Amino acid sequence: MKTLQLEFYKIKRRKVWLSMFGLLSVQLLWGVWALRAPKDWELKSGWLSLLYFLSLMDGIMMPAIISVLASRLADIEHKGNTYKQLETFRSPGSLYHAKAACGCIIIAVMFAVQFAFFIFLGYRLGYVGNPDVKYYLLSYMLKLASTISLFFLQLALSMLFANQMVPLVAGLGGSMVALLLMFVTTYSFLPWGGNLSAALVMSEWNPDTRIITYAYRAFSPPELAAVVCIFIWLILFYFAGRILFAHREV
Amino acid sequence: MAEPNLIETQNLTKQYGKIRCVTTLHMKVPREAVYGFLGPNGAGKSTTLKMILGLVKPTEGSITLFGTRVNGKNRIRLLADTGSLIESPSYYGHLTGEENLHILQTLKGCPKKDIDEVLKIVRLYDARQKKVSHYSLGMKQRLGLAGALLGFPRLLILDEPTNGLDPAGIQEMRELICTLPSSYGITVVVSSHLLSEIDQMADHVGIIRKGELVYQDTLESLHAKASQQIALRTDNPATTLLLLRQNGIEAQKESDYFLIPMADDNEIARLCRHLIEQGISLYRIEKREKSLEDIFLALTGKESSL
Repeated sequence: MKTLQLEFYKIKRRKVWLSMFGLLSVQLLWGVWALRAPKDWELKSGWLSLLYFLSLMDGIMMPAIISVLASRLADIEHKGNTYKQLETFRSPGSLYHAKAACGCIIIAVMFAVQFAFFIFLGYRLGYVGNPDVKYYLLSYMLKLASTISLFFLQLALSMLFANQMVPLVAGLGGSMVALLLMFVTTYSFLPWGGNLSAALVMSEWNPDTRIITYAYRAFSPPELAAVVCIFIWLILFYFAGRILFAHREV
Repeated sequence: MAEPNLIETQNLTKQYGKIRCVTTLHMKVPREAVYGFLGPNGAGKSTTLKMILGLVKPTEGSITLFGTRVNGKNRIRLLADTGSLIESPSYYGHLTGEENLHILQTLKGCPKKDIDEVLKIVRLYDARQKKVSHYSLGMKQRLGLAGALLGFPRLLILDEPTNGLDPAGIQEMRELICTLPSSYGITVVVSSHLLSEIDQMADHVGIIRKGELVYQDTLESLHAKASQQIALRTDNPATTLLLLRQNGIEAQKESDYFLIPMADDNEIARLCRHLIEQGISLYRIEKREKSLEDIFLALTGKESSL
């Protein structure tokens, strides 16, 4: 617990929160622009379309945002050559765990702010009815799991490589992969396809009426397997990163 | 019962691929000593100290700290009573000196008041609110030492602590290190590639060469090895050598000189008189001293930097 508290203490004046909310505000502006002036039929399915929109946006942007977060958390240690001192007081495993927990808390807060903002926006736009709490909570949890699995991958890279270009390029590459996946499939077993696989709402475009219909997704067995895969990546990346970090020599 | 040695290594070896950086090292650091760990660059000093701190895993051998053999389970507990400064200081540049020490103080679990105390010892108290990124290299080095001193541990491991310091800073650091055993009961292991530095700080010395400990004893014993000789130059080297041998004196030729073992003044006077009586012209008679540097070079090879 002390080590985790120190992680937050260490990022004081590093503007980690600010940079995260800066990137999040890009998402919020995108949302305000994309969801502006809804038509009547859009108001009716507003809460469903919002869940769909969030999955799409997070799928594209989160790999890059998360790589920035992991890099900001890890590079303070590389810059100050601190591992050789910290590891005389704490085991490398517990240092890794504290860093991972710190990042998870920041991600959870980011998503909470994101959801709160978009729900507020939905009410302001006049979406009919109320958001389905069960689906919104489930979506929040699945997004969190998918993003945290990517965060563990990025954290491992950021903690192992002193040159932060390596993890940042991996993060940008991840965003590109996620974007490409969206054009070709509705689910993926790749770690960057997690947000896509975890999308609870699907859309259907009718070219004649030019209306998009949204509906809750009925998960097929392979789609369910892709959701399970998110959790496998999460566990795998956490332990792989922790083991690699603990076994390296300072 | 007090531990005889605070650190003992047995057959400590580190191998990277086919290269042995440290070979069967038997290091013994007595309690409340300033142990100078001396060796040329790349001799294996930092690797040895990192192995003691558990930052590098030994290929073979074991380490005993405070009388207990170190293993994966007790490493952190044993190291709680140590402070270290390895190679360069560790710091968070965006935090102040005081905040940096707060992190270490929390991790070490020592009292908060220690922060002010160590800041005063290393003369950084007035700069405690300044961001470390604005510190000079010397100030960062002193902050590193302050971090190592937090909690006033029983053992302090300092790897080349005077790196980057100006002459006044080096002098200050030396004086501080020398006072630590008497003032706080701290045992200090200090590594350096500079013999003069260790000569001024340490009371025990270990000399490492290509990963092997080639000498380990008190500094006094090392000084005792520094031998003195008398050098003679005469007009007739052949006859001089003959006369010296006839008088039972072992002589070594070194350019135009004969080197003979040190003797007392009367003995030297008698020898000079004898040579002159035999018709030898005595051009020069000099005292030659085998310096500590010569011994160090003989032990480590000539690749060391002094």
